[in-house]
Amino acid sequence: MRLPSLKGRRLVSALLFAGAALVAGAVIGACTSDEDDQQAQATEQQQQQMEQQDQPAEQQQQEQQRAAPRAQDSGEPRGNTIQLVQDRGTLKCGVKQTQPLFGFRDDQGNVTGFDIEFCKAIAAAVLKDADAVEYVDASDASTRFELLADGQIDILIRTTTITSSRDMELDVDFAQTTFYTGQGFAVRKDSGINSTSDMANAAICVQTGTTTEQNVADHFTDIGLDYEPTGGLSQDVAAAFFEGRCDVLTADASDLASRIVVRDDADDYKILPQIISKEPLAPGVRDYDSDWKDVVNWVVHGLIRAEEIGITQANVAAMASNPPNTEVARLLGVPFGDGEVAALGFDVVDAQFIQRAIAAVGNYGEIYDREIGNAIPRDCTLNALARPLPSEAVDCGPGEGGIMYALPYR
Amino acid sequence: MSAQAPAPPSPSAGGPPPSDAVPLFYRRGFRRLLQQGIYVAITALVAWYVYDSLDLREFGFGFLDDPAAFKVGNQWLTDIDGVTNNRITMYLVGVWASLRVVFVAILLSTLVGVLVGVSRLSSNWLVARLAMLYVEIFRNTPLLVQVVLVYAIFLVGAPIIQEVVNIGDFAFISNRGLAIPWPVPNDGLWGLPDWFVGVWVALLIAIGAVAMTVRRTRQNRERETGQPQFANRWAFGIFAVGALVTFIILGLPVSIDRPYIEGTRYLEGMVIRPEFAALTIGLTLYTGAFNAEIVRGSIQALPTGQTEAANAIGLSGYQRLTLVILPQALRQMIPSITNQYLNVNKNSSLAYAVLYDDLFRVAGIIQNKAGHALEMFFVIIVTYMLISLVISAVMNLINSRVTRVGV
Repeated sequence: MRLPSLKGRRLVSALLFAGAALVAGAVIGACTSDEDDQQAQATEQQQQQMEQQDQPAEQQQQEQQRAAPRAQDSGEPRGNTIQLVQDRGTLKCGVKQTQPLFGFRDDQGNVTGFDIEFCKAIAAAVLKDADAVEYVDASDASTRFELLADGQIDILIRTTTITSSRDMELDVDFAQTTFYTGQGFAVRKDSGINSTSDMANAAICVQTGTTTEQNVADHFTDIGLDYEPTGGLSQDVAAAFFEGRCDVLTADASDLASRIVVRDDADDYKILPQIISKEPLAPGVRDYDSDWKDVVNWVVHGLIRAEEIGITQANVAAMASNPPNTEVARLLGVPFGDGEVAALGFDVVDAQFIQRAIAAVGNYGEIYDREIGNAIPRDCTLNALARPLPSEAVDCGPGEGGIMYALPYR
Repeated sequence: MSAQAPAPPSPSAGGPPPSDAVPLFYRRGFRRLLQQGIYVAITALVAWYVYDSLDLREFGFGFLDDPAAFKVGNQWLTDIDGVTNNRITMYLVGVWASLRVVFVAILLSTLVGVLVGVSRLSSNWLVARLAMLYVEIFRNTPLLVQVVLVYAIFLVGAPIIQEVVNIGDFAFISNRGLAIPWPVPNDGLWGLPDWFVGVWVALLIAIGAVAMTVRRTRQNRERETGQPQFANRWAFGIFAVGALVTFIILGLPVSIDRPYIEGTRYLEGMVIRPEFAALTIGLTLYTGAFNAEIVRGSIQALPTGQTEAANAIGLSGYQRLTLVILPQALRQMIPSITNQYLNVNKNSSLAYAVLYDDLFRVAGIIQNKAGHALEMFFVIIVTYMLISLVISAVMNLINSRVTRVGV
């Protein structure tokens, strides 16, 4: 046997050594870059912790939520969703499909609900066709903002609460609030409970969530009463309430309404007017796209304004052909008189977009009455008009009254 | 062999081979050094990485000292208010809830295991087949399903509190739980404070020790003389008389609280809530099925000669079982049954399915509020491990005691 020449062996050893050095370098390099990720993750985690303090009751899995990728990470064209939607010819609307009243897919596959009406209104405004909507399932709370950031949906209308941390940390901007809710209480009508002050030592089923337990504990501390938290099936604590395991069920008021309205004995239950947390629900759009946000915003404001001045789905066509005053003409995008006042035109959308939205779904009050009015009374809640028509004004108690207020359209 | 490649001239002729005759990389010393160096470097890197990421996450347990700001239901013997107490206190309330479930489920599942295990070997066809049916059903379905099913049965099957089943004003059944009378400390007749119940309990333990000593002495005498000494009767008598006399002397320090209903709420007495019952019954049925198989296997592992010998000396079926078969079989089954007890401890975390506030659920609430998932899981794991180790230690003690006796 002849060993390879020493020169050859040196070469082999040198090559091996170089290889080992490369591997070691790569390992160290990987560790260093992991380190950066780690830092980012840690910051993210802290942000999430902050976020949890403000999270609404209806989303249980928020703590798992990851910050959505930033704008520049997405492959989809950014910054001009309105052009994207018009080129595509359909609006991709991310909606919840599991909550009756707000967003629910029935046995036939029809998606209906309060949030769905706003999808239709926006599609009518932008695409001139209220049915040109593709409803993307955004029922999973933990991934909904990623759907938006990834460009899989154009708009998120899914009982989503505006919170500071979401607005500032995630790739989401919120338009005008469409529904004001908060953590509320449901009881049996025959229980004699009319407010939390009647709940001394009551058994309370708490829909598990990030802040529900804390909200109710804080509230009972504030009013100086004791209560008894009870169990239930973790996937659906409401079932325990309906079986009589507890006296009171607490969750988001809109969530409570959804749970009750689908029952045959819905009349046996009531939701107390008392609300112990703030949950304003609003449509979400991507950051850095103010044209798109403007359109969404003004569709919502336009629907509220239409209610304020009495334009309905039924009379919108008549109003458009013969506007009674300059403001109605402007809102519907038609000239007034003999063209003395011209219609407003915009760069991003034509003048009649609000008229089409109203023709498609009606004004805000009509949407409310049609979709959720039976389950969630509106009078004197935050969702009532701040400036109702004199003929429809209702006397409210002190501290009650609506805050739905459209910005001026001119 | 052909000539070697010419080695470079070495400065020290005649000694060990010149140092550069073997390339550095092939030298044993260098290889060892390199391998160990790489190992140390990687270990140090990993350690530094772990330390640094923990540091970045602000790893620490300080958050456990903050106010809990949530309530924990289903407490027993304690009434700890989560709003003012800190998180670790509420966590311990959860641990106490877990321990209760584990303790009761271990006791009941052992009882079920012995009964069903013996029944499976019964000569009665119906009893043996029913026992087999039980084992096959509960051993082959998921525990989670059983717990949820039992809970659903309680929730739907039991009447609502407005239609509560009243058993002679003595006990109540509704889907908010079973309320039964329960002893509570009481101010004594002679004006003694209610903590004198503790004195009574201490005295009971002392009397029990005396009774056990008497029993052992009499058992020994019976073994030596062959004369019946009625050891058990003596022991029981001493204990009963002692307990009664001290109870009266201390001025009846314990009274029985009967439950009653006010509005929709049980007051006084003891309430066994459906969540606790569902979890305990689920664990009992599931573990009982496994225990039954262990009992059956241990009995069948005994030589048939034991049964034949017992029959030959004319023991009845009951005597054969309690005097010959079970004492030997029990020794064999303790290691296997210890595993089942450890499983009861771990499976008790299924409390989450019925929102029973055990340690895992309370830890989950704390995590939801405070984050720090890493620390919280560390605490959870350590807690379950500690409980398991205690169970193992107790079972090993019992094992060493029973194996020491006879045979």
